[in-house]
Amino acid sequence: MSVALAAARLHGPHIDWGGLSPILALLGGAVVVLLVGLAPRREVRRLVASGLALVAFAAALGCTIWQWDASKSIVSGALRVDDLALAVNLILVSAGAATVLLSWRARASGEAGHGEFYALVLTSTAGMSVLVAAQNTVSLFLGIELLSIPLYVLCATELHRSPSLESGLKYLVIGSVGSATLLYGLAMIYGATGSTDFDAIASAIASGGLASDPLLLTGIALVVVGLAFKSSVAPFHQWTPDVYEGAPTPITTFMAVATKAAALGIFLRFFDVALVSAQVSWAPALAALATISIVVGNVGALGQSSLKRLLAYSAVAQAGYLLAGVVVSTRAGARATVFYLAVYLLMNLAAFAVVVARERETGLGDDIAAVEGLGASRPWLAWPMTIAMLSLAGIPATAGFVGKLFLIQASADGGYTWLGVVIVVGSMVSLAYYLRVVAAMWMRPGPSLGATEAASPYPAIAGGSPEADPDAIGTSTPAAPPAGDGGPGAGAREGFQPEVVGLALAAGAATVFFGIVPSPLVDLARAAGNSLLGLF
Amino acid sequence: MAAVLFFIAGIGAVAGAIGVISARNPFYSVLALVAHLISLAALFLLLRAEFVAAAQVIVYAGAVMVLYVFVVSYVGLRDEPWHTMGAPGGAALRGGAALFGGALAVELMIALLGTGLRAVDSRGAGYVPGFGSPGQIGDLLLTKFLFAFELASFLLLIAAVGAVVLARRRGEGEPEGAPEATSVIEALRLGSMAEAVGAPASTAATRLAELNEPDQGEGRGGGW
Repeated sequence: MSVALAAARLHGPHIDWGGLSPILALLGGAVVVLLVGLAPRREVRRLVASGLALVAFAAALGCTIWQWDASKSIVSGALRVDDLALAVNLILVSAGAATVLLSWRARASGEAGHGEFYALVLTSTAGMSVLVAAQNTVSLFLGIELLSIPLYVLCATELHRSPSLESGLKYLVIGSVGSATLLYGLAMIYGATGSTDFDAIASAIASGGLASDPLLLTGIALVVVGLAFKSSVAPFHQWTPDVYEGAPTPITTFMAVATKAAALGIFLRFFDVALVSAQVSWAPALAALATISIVVGNVGALGQSSLKRLLAYSAVAQAGYLLAGVVVSTRAGARATVFYLAVYLLMNLAAFAVVVARERETGLGDDIAAVEGLGASRPWLAWPMTIAMLSLAGIPATAGFVGKLFLIQASADGGYTWLGVVIVVGSMVSLAYYLRVVAAMWMRPGPSLGATEAASPYPAIAGGSPEADPDAIGTSTPAAPPAGDGGPGAGAREGFQPEVVGLALAAGAATVFFGIVPSPLVDLARAAGNSLLGLF
Repeated sequence: MAAVLFFIAGIGAVAGAIGVISARNPFYSVLALVAHLISLAALFLLLRAEFVAAAQVIVYAGAVMVLYVFVVSYVGLRDEPWHTMGAPGGAALRGGAALFGGALAVELMIALLGTGLRAVDSRGAGYVPGFGSPGQIGDLLLTKFLFAFELASFLLLIAAVGAVVLARRRGEGEPEGAPEATSVIEALRLGSMAEAVGAPASTAATRLAELNEPDQGEGRGGGW
């Protein structure tokens, strides 16, 4: 009888399958790819798993475009499907698909098992999609965990290389501290406002005069710290260079681009929807963090000789630029942040694709020497890298310039002109290290590849430290792995990698295209900014 | 009566938490954690959350703690020295850490005690019949938090997959006749945080145990 009573009382929520479809496509794809990992033949596993992962990303992309212009809360207020979530989703799914392409010949996916590797990438992307759509602190935290836990494992997937294991362990420890801080902050915000829904938190703050309540302010501070850990905003960035350097390069690409987009997406939604009434309290703190981030990132990058560490410090600085759009808490600010996130995807994909290609070609890892003389020997790799570096520095006629222009404009209009000045000064400093890479490519002679080829049969030891290299050679000397699954070490050096070069060229071309004709991306970003209904 | 119980359980929870971080023998840390969790369960009971209290005792104080005890026995009982990391610049780092930790503690005290003391002689939130019962919690999980519930199950799945990936340690891309992954790991100095700052290498067994740690971290994160 009690069963009948329970059945009679319980009215399940309405489930909007259309709104959920991008997330379902990713999670469903993850399950299917995981099962493909059971296939008996290695080549089948490799081809089918990566192919199906691409299909899942394409399906998620299609569903996102299908839902465009939606504005609805789904599954009893857990998620909000609007143009902000969908626009960031486009960035995330593109980053995920690019990661699959870059992982195609990587050692990491072979060592972890192809099915598991791509399932982890798909799940992490699904967690990011949940995060940017979260409208409830419970969904927010679960989204963060669902994106982080697969990433901890993915960082350590080059199981025979100690920097990769170190990177996974560091990211696990520091990421867990970030998650715990975030959770503590969310609990305090719940304690102060009595609700987990963003809208209810906003109305409690606005009506209850809570804007200066110590419990709420401490909660906000802890949430800022937790999200700053995830988006590598200084001074919570210390893990970034080590983890970026140690992780397999395709995963570094994914972390740099997608994690940042997801973290900034939830920054926008949580602070501009739930906490918008307390803006006078948190905006100066976020502006200070943005400034520290720009200074630390740009100064830290100056002395780096590893390309991945350089790009990691550059990512810290870029996180500072991106925060400017959150600080001002206006639609123009949200628009500028989303625009810059899309541009950031393109320029980083171009740069990291070249790093991946050169790692596999030269055996010099991600040292800056790997790109020396690239202009003469591989112009189709040198051009995308050059464009990416100039765009990251913000040179006109690239998309990075337009993005920074919008961010500075939004800062000035929002009453934070000084933050705009900091962005300009930071960009000037950043030219020093971006141009160093460009100069290395076009003005130096290439490295003598013959010597390194003889020395190391396993060339793709990204950021391999001197102590690790002999060990890696030791593992591979008994027999060169057969061509195919062995990844970059496989027999003959990867002379031509069409998918990596194609990705670099496409991302580089798009960076220039959107620098000259930015209107398609501007429309996307405007729709995203306008979906934050409480702002002006 | 409730006030007396509250203070007993509150002191127990704080003392247990201090014990977890101050005991030098990991086994005592685990026992202190059990005391802490049982005190928390008593606090939940005082808040009329009977189901949460029962789940706390059964799942955390029971099942998860047994797992911890197994792990501690497996890794081996060693007294952990207070300062394992003789890092260069360690004194400055420790001083900075103490400074920031103290500032954070003061801030949290202001926030929690400030609001807590203001409400100390008020009645608190009203009690609704049925609150905290298994039925109501199940109701919430299947209605308001349905999405979170389903997502948490996927989180557990992928955490298990990740743990298997890390624990299997035998790659497909490996050439035939290559040494076992475990022997490579013993030959390498496994990249732990302690080693990153220059601590002396520990024995092979503890290094393998360190390698296993991410898996358990995964499990805890998923189990939340």
